[in-house]
Amino acid sequence: MSSQEPSAGLQLDHAGYRTWVGEPRSSWWSCLSIVRVGLMLIFRRWIFWILIGLGLLNFLFHFAFIYLKATLAVQNENIARFLDRYKVTGTGDAYAEFMFAQATICALLLAFAASTLIGGDYRQGGMIFYLSRRIGRWHYIVGKLLTVGAVVTIVTTIPALILFIEYGTLSNSFQYFLDHPRILTGILGYGAILAIVQSLLIFAIAAWVPRTVPLVMTWLGLFVLLKGLADAMRAIDGNRYWLLLGLWDDMHRLGRFCFGSLDEKKIPSAEYCLAVLSAVCVISLVLIVQRVRAVEVVS
Amino acid sequence: MSNDPVSLASSSVDEPPSLIELTHLSHFYGKFQALKDVSLSVQPGAIGLIGQNGAGKSTLLKILLGLMVPTSGTGTILGRNLLRQQGELRGRIGFMPEAESLIPGMRGVDLVGLAGELSGMPRRQALRRAHEVLSYLELDEVRYRRCDDYSVGMKQRLKLAAALVHDPDLLLLDEPTAGLDPQGRDAMLRLLHAIASRHGKSLILSTHLLGDIDRVCKQVIIMDRGTVLGCGRIGDLRQHWQGRYRIRWREPELRADNPDDGQSFLAILRRACPVVTATQRDSEALIEVPEGWNNQRLFEMAIQSGVVLSDIVPEEEDLPRLYHRLIGTGEVN
Repeated sequence: MSSQEPSAGLQLDHAGYRTWVGEPRSSWWSCLSIVRVGLMLIFRRWIFWILIGLGLLNFLFHFAFIYLKATLAVQNENIARFLDRYKVTGTGDAYAEFMFAQATICALLLAFAASTLIGGDYRQGGMIFYLSRRIGRWHYIVGKLLTVGAVVTIVTTIPALILFIEYGTLSNSFQYFLDHPRILTGILGYGAILAIVQSLLIFAIAAWVPRTVPLVMTWLGLFVLLKGLADAMRAIDGNRYWLLLGLWDDMHRLGRFCFGSLDEKKIPSAEYCLAVLSAVCVISLVLIVQRVRAVEVVS
Repeated sequence: MSNDPVSLASSSVDEPPSLIELTHLSHFYGKFQALKDVSLSVQPGAIGLIGQNGAGKSTLLKILLGLMVPTSGTGTILGRNLLRQQGELRGRIGFMPEAESLIPGMRGVDLVGLAGELSGMPRRQALRRAHEVLSYLELDEVRYRRCDDYSVGMKQRLKLAAALVHDPDLLLLDEPTAGLDPQGRDAMLRLLHAIASRHGKSLILSTHLLGDIDRVCKQVIIMDRGTVLGCGRIGDLRQHWQGRYRIRWREPELRADNPDDGQSFLAILRRACPVVTATQRDSEALIEVPEGWNNQRLFEMAIQSGVVLSDIVPEEEDLPRLYHRLIGTGEVN
């Protein structure tokens, strides 16, 4: 029996084995497949939904608050003005704080999810699965970085953007969008910083420390211990540049710079933070490439 | 040791174009030379790759897969340049690694579909073909199960499905029967044989198990310490020993009470032939007859000692003997 299905590019031969005669796509498309599978692995596990749920709660609180404020403003402007004093939302600072909180939840999520997303590839042969296909090592690296970046964006940037749009839409006019362009660049900028730094850092750590418990300890230790060390060193000799050791704060300072709400006179300035984070990213990338290159597809 | 392989894959005009053609391929890891001036040519079909640990098999596989560029030399696979068309080549090659290479948490069908996408197939077609390949490999009933829950045999077949999903022209199989029980091994070998013989796929089977190669492959590449010692059709590489026979006899039932008859037949044989080796089985011997010998004499000797000859088979080299002869260990003998 022989049947031609040119539209599907498949052809049945006499023994029930179909051949495929399509034109292969560029290997860069495979990065999107890696992202899709990575997100599926995270969102399929209920354990991660506890942390995602926390982020969702925070988002829903802000979402409801904006709606409540808009509703009250129609009835009584004084109440709206009273609520504005708390700066829960609507200003650059408020969005920066919201994203900071979301990023903290995201860091916790990544601490556990990285073992599944990246660590498992080293522990259980997933790397060999990927690298024995048509794609190269850079496609794999880019695919995984995009996956982590997508998780960070889903938890931090997209909710912040939704809140921004909601706030502008529920205000009396669309003037809010025109008056606050810096908020939009702030959300996108801070989101990009979080996505780039966190994805490179967690990839490098998970590649070298693939097991869950050591990975969680290293990842959280990196932020908590370094911040503690930075504070301690600053307390000892009073030099504020020691604060640069706290990577989490560096990201926050840069984020505030994107929102235009960073006190430029305060040391360390945004340039220093950018330099430190850039160095961290470069080191992470070198570590990632080194680790990925060391994987033997043929044992 | 000579670097010239015993190559019998002639380039006659009747033969199809070579599947793999390597010319003076060498590779160094630092100062260690893993491949030494390897030149070979194999035709499409099932090809066995044998060699001890450190023979250079893995390095050769990596180069064939396009994962590594050789230090020197060149070659073509499926008519494509090994050095310049690596990406294109990998799209036409399916690789089944020896190591466990699955993504925990994924369902069988998703995993095979992903393998198709990573090989350049559009998502819908990859998924459709994943279902077909899993059915072909008799994994259709477990396709929605997470691959961590598969048995060893199922995992091996799943790896094969992932290698086959994009319909490659050449399959590279690294120890495909590793960890399988005898039944699983038998099933896997039958499957590989069918893929090679019915569907016209070429495959390179890298294994330590000579029996696997004997069952599936028509051609073989024998490697030792970075060199190719033999390459070509197994039948052509086999030494056809002139004048070597395996003979079997039996004593007539009426005279079975005299066990010395077989021994005396052996003694007569030893007087007539320069080399007679009694095998471990009773009433069987390997003989090497002198030039100008007529097998009629065997029957005369049998009548003389009162036994009946049941078999006279010209002795041919089997794969283990061929392998050990080429690598020079002579272990079988």
